[in-house]
Amino acid sequence: MEPLLRVSHLTLDYETKGGRVRALRDVSFTMHEGRVLGIVGETGCGKSTLGHAIARLVPEPPARVHAGRIEFRGNDLLKLPKWKMPAIRGTGIGMIFQEPINSLNPAYRIYDQVAEAVRIRRLREAGKNPTATFGQEGFDYSRPRMPTTSEILSKPLRPSLGRRGVASLVSSKELRKEVLDFLRLVRINDPETILDLYPHELSGGMRQRIMIAIALSGRPSLLIADEPTSALDVTIQAQVLTLMKELMDEVRTSILFISHDLAVIAEMTDDVGVMYAGRIVEFGPVAEVFESPRHPYTKALLRSIPNRRKAEGALPSLPGSVPNLLRLPTGCVFHPRCPLVREACKEPPGPELVMGTDTGSVGGHLAACYFSNEVKALP
Amino acid sequence: MTGPLVQVEHLVKHFPLTRSALEYVRGDPPRAIHAVDDVSFQISSGETLGLIGESGSGKTTLGWLVARLHDTTGGRILFDGHDVTALRGNALRRWRREVQVVFQDPVGSLDPRLTAWQIVGEPIRAQEAVERTELRRRVAELLPSVGLPPDCLDQHPHEFSGGGRQRLSLARALSLHPRLIVLDEPTSALDVAVQAQILNRLVELQREFGFSYLLITHNVGAVRFLSDRVAVMYLGKLAEVGPVVGVLERPLHPYTKALLAAMPVPDVRRRRARYRISGEVPTLIHPPPGCRFASRCPFVIDRCRVEEPLLRALPGNPDHLVSCHRAEELEDVSPDAMITSEPSQTP
Repeated sequence: MEPLLRVSHLTLDYETKGGRVRALRDVSFTMHEGRVLGIVGETGCGKSTLGHAIARLVPEPPARVHAGRIEFRGNDLLKLPKWKMPAIRGTGIGMIFQEPINSLNPAYRIYDQVAEAVRIRRLREAGKNPTATFGQEGFDYSRPRMPTTSEILSKPLRPSLGRRGVASLVSSKELRKEVLDFLRLVRINDPETILDLYPHELSGGMRQRIMIAIALSGRPSLLIADEPTSALDVTIQAQVLTLMKELMDEVRTSILFISHDLAVIAEMTDDVGVMYAGRIVEFGPVAEVFESPRHPYTKALLRSIPNRRKAEGALPSLPGSVPNLLRLPTGCVFHPRCPLVREACKEPPGPELVMGTDTGSVGGHLAACYFSNEVKALP
Repeated sequence: MTGPLVQVEHLVKHFPLTRSALEYVRGDPPRAIHAVDDVSFQISSGETLGLIGESGSGKTTLGWLVARLHDTTGGRILFDGHDVTALRGNALRRWRREVQVVFQDPVGSLDPRLTAWQIVGEPIRAQEAVERTELRRRVAELLPSVGLPPDCLDQHPHEFSGGGRQRLSLARALSLHPRLIVLDEPTSALDVAVQAQILNRLVELQREFGFSYLLITHNVGAVRFLSDRVAVMYLGKLAEVGPVVGVLERPLHPYTKALLAAMPVPDVRRRRARYRISGEVPTLIHPPPGCRFASRCPFVIDRCRVEEPLLRALPGNPDHLVSCHRAEELEDVSPDAMITSEPSQTP
C-alpha cells in the first residue's frame, strides 16, 4: 500500500544574518493511513519547522529546502509550484496550531470561520476551481513574477462559479446545518449560540475545539497538530486530548502530532519520532520507544521527568544544553552530552537512523546511534 | 523552636470591578473578583509548601499577597511571629529582604536593557549602599551557585537561553539570602531536561541555606519532587492541605483527584483513558454558594450546593485537611475513577 506521507532526506536551513541555522537535517519517515505519528523534542529541535514544512507553510526565504522529498499520496509537494499549495491545504493537509487565539480571525464570527472551510471543501468536491479559496485568488507572495497580459486574459482571476455563484453549490441552510454538525462533533454544547460569538468571547478550551472543528471540516486526509494543547490548562488539556482520541476512533484521520510533552505523546500516538537538533534520532512504535529506548537522548529525556521526592535523591538530569543550530557539533549531534560517547561518534558524517542488530529488536524501531545496543544497560 | 516562619490567617483578596454608569445610577452593589477567599496555612522554616491548581484558581495572587506585592483585603500574615500585613514605607522595604519572588515569566521579569550583574545586584542595591565593584564581586560570587558561569556578568537577558534566564531570576531572588522564596511556576516555561537541572539546584540551595519555598505550579511532578506539604487551590479556596505523600498518593478531595487524573503520564497504557470531568473553571465574580467545585464534581449531592464545606481533618489523620462534605465516603475512590475507558456519553 502506498503510504499517505513519505518524507525523505528533508534538509532545511534558515539563512539569517548570523549564518545558516540548520533547522532540519536529513529527516526521513513514513506515515500510513489512519495512524497517529508523534514528533517529540525540546524547544528549538525543529519539530514545528518540520510540521510547517510539510504543509509548506515555512516562509521561504529565510527558509531554504536544500534536499529531500515530501511525498503526499505519491506527489512530491516540493516540486509543486507554490501557488498550487492552497489546493492541498485544508482538504488534503489540515493544520491545528498551538495558540488558537492567534489562528482565529478576531473580526469574524465563529460561524463564518467554520463555514469558510466547509464551503471551500464543497467547492472542491464539486470539482470547481480547486485552487481557489472562496471568491478570490489565493494571494501568493512568493510568485516570481507578475502574470503577463495574455495570461491574465486567458485565466480568470476569480473562479468561475456559474451564473448563480456559490449559492448554486451550497445553500445557506445546508451550510449552517453542516457547521452545526461539526461543532457538535467537537462536543460543543449549545452550538447555536456559539455560532454568533467572536473568538474573544470564548475560553481557551472552546477556541481550540473550534480550531479542531475547522481543521476537520475540510475532511483532510492528514491532520498536522502542532502543540494543540500546550496553551491549555491541565484539566482542559485532558478534555481536549480525550476529544481528539474519540475523534480518532470516529473520523479515522491520520494525525501528525507534534509536542514537547513526552506524556502527551505517550497517550496519543501510535508511532513516535524523537527529534534532537534538527534530526530524528529515534523512531518506532510508541510502546517500544518509551519502554526500551535505543538512543541515549531518549533515555535521558524519559529519566528526567520528575517522578520522585527530594528525599529519594536528585533527579537524573542531562548535562549541558541543546547545541546552537548555527554551530552544530561534528559527527553525532548528541555526542557532547552523551554518556556513551567514543571517538567514532565525533567523526562525520555521524550515525544514520537504522534498525537495531541486537536480539529482541522490534521491526520499525530505528535509532541513530552506533552503540544503540548499549543504551539498555545505561542507568 | 518558635512558631512557623509564615502563618497566613483568613486571607482575603478582592479585586473590585469598575461599575458602569448605569449600574451606578441603579445603585447596584459594587462587584469584585474574589481571587483569594478566606485562606489559612502555614510554612515552617526550611519547608516547601507546594500550591497547585488551575489558572484562575488564585494561586499566583496568593503568592503575591504573601510577598506583599498586593495589599490584602482581609485577614493577616504573620512572618516569624510578627504581623506584616500592614507594614509600610521603610519597615516594608527592610522586610522585603526576607521574602523574594521568582516570577513566572523569565522573559517579562528581566529588564532587557540591564546586564546580568545589574539585574542580580538590584535587590542588594535597594537594601544596602554598595560600591559598583563590590556589587559586581558579590554577584560574580553568587552566579556559580545557580549554575551560571561568572563571566556572563555583562550579558543581557536575551543572550541567555530559557533555562539561563530562569537561573538569573533565581540568582536575583537569592542575592539577599531571604528566608522565604516564592517560586511562581519556576519551570513551566522550560523543557523537561532543563527543568530537572533547575529542580535539583533548588533542592541543593534549600539544603545549603535553609530557605523555605512557596512553590506555585500546576506541574504535579515538580510538586512531588520539591514539596514537603501540598495545598490544592480551587476558585480562591483551599480544597485540601496535607503532607505531599498523603495528598498526592491518597487525595481526599474530588478536585484533587480530578486534577491528578488530568495529568498526562508517560505511560502508553493510558491510550484508552478518557477524562470524565467536563466544564471549565467558573468565574470568580459571583462564586456559587456552597462548595465551589459542585458544578463540576461527579459526586455532588444537594448539600454541596447549599452549605459551604470547611477545611477539616478526617479522624486519625490530623495533618491532612480537606474541605469536602463527602470526604469520608470518597476516601477510597482513586483518581483513576475520574478517567474511564468507555467512550463518553455526550452526543
